Amino acid sequence: MKSRLLRNVLGSLLSFVLVMGIWQAIVVWGQVAPYIAPRPLDAFRAISGDWSTLWPLTLWTLRETVYGFLAGAVLGVVFGIVMHKIAMLQRVLYPILIVTQAIPIVALAAPLVLMLGFNLGPKIVIVAWIVFFPVTVNVLDGLTHVDGDLLTLARVLGARRWRTFLVIEVPAAIAPLFSGLKIGATYAVTGAIIGEMAASSGSSLALYQHNANANLNAAAVYGTTLIMTAIGISWFLLIVSLEFWATPWRRRVTARRRRIGGKHK
Amino acid sequence: MSQRQIRRAVLALAIASSSIAVAGVAASAATPTNVRFVYDFPGPDFELTPLVVGIAEGIYQQAGLKVSLLFPPDTSTTSKMLTTGSADVGFITTSDMAVAVQAKAPLVSIANYSMSNNWGLFAKPGSKLTLANLKGKKIFSWGDTWTNAMLPFVLKKAGLKASDVTVVTASNDIPLLMSGKIDFTTSTSNYGIPGILEATKASPVSIVGAAAGVPNVPVWVYSVTRDYAKNHPATTRAFLAATLKATQWAIKNPAKAVADFVKKYPKSGYSSFYSTKGWGITVPLLTNAQGKFFTQTDAQWTLLANGMKSNGQLKSVPSASTYYTNAFIPQQ
Repeated sequence: MKSRLLRNVLGSLLSFVLVMGIWQAIVVWGQVAPYIAPRPLDAFRAISGDWSTLWPLTLWTLRETVYGFLAGAVLGVVFGIVMHKIAMLQRVLYPILIVTQAIPIVALAAPLVLMLGFNLGPKIVIVAWIVFFPVTVNVLDGLTHVDGDLLTLARVLGARRWRTFLVIEVPAAIAPLFSGLKIGATYAVTGAIIGEMAASSGSSLALYQHNANANLNAAAVYGTTLIMTAIGISWFLLIVSLEFWATPWRRRVTARRRRIGGKHK
Repeated sequence: MSQRQIRRAVLALAIASSSIAVAGVAASAATPTNVRFVYDFPGPDFELTPLVVGIAEGIYQQAGLKVSLLFPPDTSTTSKMLTTGSADVGFITTSDMAVAVQAKAPLVSIANYSMSNNWGLFAKPGSKLTLANLKGKKIFSWGDTWTNAMLPFVLKKAGLKASDVTVVTASNDIPLLMSGKIDFTTSTSNYGIPGILEATKASPVSIVGAAAGVPNVPVWVYSVTRDYAKNHPATTRAFLAATLKATQWAIKNPAKAVADFVKKYPKSGYSSFYSTKGWGITVPLLTNAQGKFFTQTDAQWTLLANGMKSNGQLKSVPSASTYYTNAFIPQQ
């Protein structure tokens, strides 16, 4: 187990080094001017050099991402369950769900600002808008594809609908739910940044990047991009960890031994 | 050599030289020099009128140029398009030019577009807009170098700190102003007045230029890379000469000039009213006190650079000649 974890960490480190190497090679061999694209080290220096400004902005963006993600995830789970339980509602809502995702999020951002102002509101809505769809679809998919034999067995054994839902359907939907959450986690920070780009009062990571871009400070532009990426990756890894903890049956096919009355059973 | 032989030789020389001249003209008419012009905004608007007129009325063609108009993906990319060779001539703000020089981007301003500072604060008709009542207000900013350079001057004149107002940065100001989400917007008079006029059918309240405390420096310039200026001096000169002609034509024939613009960009998103009003307000800004177009001065660049240094946008103030050259401006 430990060696597998080590291999995974090493693999990730190698990918990071590879990406930085390719970036460095392109900039150096292509003789790219520093105001067009900086060297990786300059981007990291831009972050450390202005960390006191960037840290509060990062926390703010993280807050938008987390709040929006949680709102979207809860909404997605509720929609998935309700649509599964009420077939008529599924027929009505499913096309609407697809339409919501076909609307360019950028077009949605401006009216949201007019309705909700410049603070957290529109950013949370945009992130939730992005996150709830994959969650809904995956939960619905998980609930729809429960093993029919298990459901029949539960009915034969006299399980009530609520009990069947909790014991059979919910566990079946957990793996697809995490797939939806992981997709949502990856895109959540993008939603927060789109919200910040649409309108910000005071400061935000997107605005910081916008100003750096206007001032031809490419190191700060790339540095901010690295921070945004780090937020997305961290959030994704957190969801993966949660999945690891919440779905032990995906790691082992046998049940754990439990001590009962001092004996192995 | 007999007289007859001399006459023949002269005639042959005349025929040969006229043939060369005709061939040269034909060649120049057949293969005009391409000039890729990149604007400062992702879409076209009335400030492009001289360029559009130059194309539509054949002024560039007569100068042996084929000018194509390009648009950057955002307001910060024009300088980069020039330095990466994606465009030849660019339209940028003087503050963009100043930060480009600081970033060691090899750009040089070859002519002023406008000659004075018409930037300021704007509010809905009937609003109370004075420097004394700015405290606690929400002020719109485009987040560009120009607004970032000018807003500190306004606050300084009003005796305020940056934290005394809320600066809102977004992609469009008029809907926010109309809905009351912001109190004031920042703009130049040629954009601010038509925009609010069109939305409200009444003239906006504004504080512009010296009244707003901003230095009187030109807002926009034409620029090229130093390499382009060095390697294509004739084209640069021809471009400015033709652009001057086109500008003067557009001033004399404003209705036709705007019609040319609307015809070229029917889906620009701006009404004919907006473009006509905007171009009308732009015209007086294009000449200096002596009635000259394009001419830049040391004083304008020094004043701007000192101002940008005082509000932290520039680390140092280089000599004015680092920013500009008047070498390609046609005689007026």
